Amino acid sequence: MKYLSLLMLILVISCDQQQEEPIQWKSIEADLQTLLIQAQDGDTIDIPEGNYMFKKPLILDGLSDVVFRGAGMDKTTLSFEIQESGAEGIRAANCFNLTFQNFTVQDAPGDNIKITDTNGIRFTNVRSQWTAAPSEENGAYAFYPVLCKNVVVENCLAIGSSDAGIYVGQSDSVIIRNNEVYHNVAGIESENSRWVEIYGNNAHNNTGGILIFDLPGLTQSGHTTRVYDNDVISNNHENFAPEGNVVAVVPPGTGIMMMATRKIEVFNNRIHHNRTVGAALASYVLVEALGAEEGSQLDSANNQVDEAYDPYPNHIYFHDNEFRNKHWFPTFDSDFGLLFLRYFTFNLPDFVMDGIVPEEEEFVLCLENNGEFNFANIDAANDFVGSTTDWSRYACRTGSIAPIFP
Amino acid sequence: MKKCLLILLVIASCTSPEKKKPIVLEEVSLGVKEVTDYPKYLSEWELFKEPMSTLKPAELNIFPYEINAALFSDYAYKARFIKLPKGEKINYQESEVLDFPQGTILIKNFYYPADFRLPEKERKILETRLLIHEEDGWNAIVYEWNVAQSEAKRVILGKQVPVSWTDQHGKLQRINYSIPSQPQCKSCHDLNGKMTPIGPSIRQLNRDNQLMTWKANGWLEVPDHELLPKLTDYADDKAALNLRARAWLEVNCAHCHRREGPAKNSGLYLLASQTDTYRLGVNKPPIAAGKGSGGLKYSIVPGKPDQSILVHRIESLEPGEMMPELGRKLTHQEGVKLIRDWITQMD
Repeated sequence: MKYLSLLMLILVISCDQQQEEPIQWKSIEADLQTLLIQAQDGDTIDIPEGNYMFKKPLILDGLSDVVFRGAGMDKTTLSFEIQESGAEGIRAANCFNLTFQNFTVQDAPGDNIKITDTNGIRFTNVRSQWTAAPSEENGAYAFYPVLCKNVVVENCLAIGSSDAGIYVGQSDSVIIRNNEVYHNVAGIESENSRWVEIYGNNAHNNTGGILIFDLPGLTQSGHTTRVYDNDVISNNHENFAPEGNVVAVVPPGTGIMMMATRKIEVFNNRIHHNRTVGAALASYVLVEALGAEEGSQLDSANNQVDEAYDPYPNHIYFHDNEFRNKHWFPTFDSDFGLLFLRYFTFNLPDFVMDGIVPEEEEFVLCLENNGEFNFANIDAANDFVGSTTDWSRYACRTGSIAPIFP
Repeated sequence: MKKCLLILLVIASCTSPEKKKPIVLEEVSLGVKEVTDYPKYLSEWELFKEPMSTLKPAELNIFPYEINAALFSDYAYKARFIKLPKGEKINYQESEVLDFPQGTILIKNFYYPADFRLPEKERKILETRLLIHEEDGWNAIVYEWNVAQSEAKRVILGKQVPVSWTDQHGKLQRINYSIPSQPQCKSCHDLNGKMTPIGPSIRQLNRDNQLMTWKANGWLEVPDHELLPKLTDYADDKAALNLRARAWLEVNCAHCHRREGPAKNSGLYLLASQTDTYRLGVNKPPIAAGKGSGGLKYSIVPGKPDQSILVHRIESLEPGEMMPELGRKLTHQEGVKLIRDWITQMD
C-alpha cells in the first residue's frame, strides 16, 4: 500500500507534463471532398468550426473563382496526420482564382498545401504547420504554389517545414506579405520565380530567414524580386532538412540568402541576430559544391546540361538595411560558421559573397546605406586566398526596381 | 520485486511519450447531396453480358486490348476493353495515346486470381474504371464490385478493400487494396492540365497481331508503310536491360514525370524517349523532394542504386516519400530489381 502511493506520486511527477486535453477529432472527409467535386465556378466552400482529420488529400481541379474558407485560423483545423495515400494535404491544380482563408492545416506527410498550374491564388489568414518538434520527418512545404501566376500569400503562419514554410517555385507575379514564419528550415523561399514582392514579413527562428534561389534544369529562371520591410531575426535553428534538398546546404544562422538570381533589390529590412551571416550572395557553383557527394566529380556538369541556366547572381541592389548581431560566434554546425570563425574572428561578417562572379558580363552589386556592417568576399573559387573585407568596389547606387504591383 | 514493478510501471507509462495516433470519433455531415452525374451501377452501361463477372463484351464494338508494359498496381491483373462508337474509327498517333473518337469508353477491370499460378481459374474483380470521351473531354468514373460479383456500384471517394491471393511462389499475400477517389484519377491522368488516357498508344498496343486485326476490322487507321514503334515489355527478360528499365520508368512514372505532366516542376522526365541523362536523373539533385530524398543527394548515381533517390522512392511505402504517390501499397519487387540492375551497370 505504501508502495502504491509512492508509485502514484512518481507517476504523477514524471508524467505531469503530458496531461494535455486530447483534441476531439471529427471527420467531414466524405462530405467535403464531395462538395469539392460538385463545386461550381464562383462557389464558396465553408468549413465549419471544428477539428477534422483526413485520410486522403483534398483535391480541387479545374475550378474558377472558388473560395475555400474556414471559420478562423484558431477555429477550423484540418489535419492530415493519419493520411494513407497521396503526398499532399490540400492539392489544387489547373484552377483560376482560388482563395484559401481562415483555417489551420497541419501534419501532412508531404506538403500541407500544394497548388500547381493555377492562375490566381490567394492565401489569407491560414496557418500551415507541423505540430511535432522540427524534424526531418516533417513535411517539406507548408505553402507550396508552383508553376502558378498571380500568387498572394498574406497574413499567414508557416511553422515546422523541413524545407520551406512559404515556398513559391517557378511562378510569376507573386506577393508574399505580412506573414510570420518560424521553425522552418527556410522561412520564405522564392525559387525560379519572376516578379516577386516579399515585404512586411516576420521570419524568425528558421535555419535561414528569406531565400531567393535559382536552380538549374527547371521550366524557367527567376528574376526581378523586391525584398523589403521584413524582420529577419535570429534565424539560428539547426538545419533539419533531409540531405539532397538544396536548403540542406543553408548554414544555420542565415538571414537572407540570394543564390544565382538576377535583379534583386533588398532594402529596409531589419536583419538582426542571425549568427552566421546576415545576408549572403552565392553562386550555384558554390552551393553545388557544398551539396555534392564527397569525392564526386560534378564540376558543375549540370550547367552544361541546362545551357540557359546562369549559375551566377547579378544585378543586386542591397540598401538601407539594418544589421545587428549580438552573437560573438557563428553556429559551428556548418562549414561556413567554422570558416568565418577562422577568417573573421570577432568580426563576423554581416554581408558575405562567395566571390564567384560571371566572367562574360558586367557584375553589378551595389551596397548602399546599410549602416555599419562587416563585409566579406571569401573568394571561394580560390580557396579563400583573395578573401577581403573591403567592399569599396561595391559602394554604389543603382536603379531601383519599380514596384511590381503599383 | 515491488521496486522492479514500480520501475517497470514508471517506464511503461513514461518512456514512450510517442504521440498516440489520433482517433476520429465522429463522422459529421455537411448536408451534401449525392453525386448523380453518371449511372450508379456498372450494369447500366450494358458493357458486359450477364453474368457480368465473365467480362464478355455485350456488343461487337466492345473489344479487349493488351499492352506491352503495364503500370504496377499492387500485382492486380487488369482486363482492358475499348468501346468504340459504332461506325467510328480510332485515328493514328505516332507516340502519344491514340486519337479516340467522341463516345469512346476505355474500360479497365482490376482483379486478383485466387491463385496466381492458375490465373484462369477463380478470380475476384475489385473495381472497374471507365474513361469516357465526351464533348467536354475525357471523364473518369470508378465502380466497386460486390462480393457476389454480380454488380458494381459507383465509388466517388475511394475505398479500402481487403484482398488476398496466392502468389507465383505459392505464398499467401494480403493487402488493403486502395480504390482511388474520383479526383485522384486526374493526379495521374493529366496531360497539360486535361484529363487524358495514359495507356493505349501505338507503342503500347503494338504486340502480337493486335493492330493488324483492328485495322482489318476497320477500327483503326494505321499507316501501311512504316515500321510501327513498340514499347518494350519490361517483364521480358530476353529484352535489353536498358530498354526494359526505360519502359518500366515510362509506364510507372512518366505520366507525371514528363514535360506536359503534373510533376514537370521536378525537372525529372522519365519517358523512354528521353535522351538527356540529367533530365533522366543522373547526378540530378532533387527539387522539392522533402524527406522523399531519403537523405540522398541525386536521383540516380551511376553504379550505385543504394545512393539513388529514385530507388529509395520506388521502394518506399511511406506517403510523402513513395513513388508513384498513388496506386500501390506494395513495392514492385521485380520492378525495383530491374531499376537496381540498370543503375548498377551504368557508368
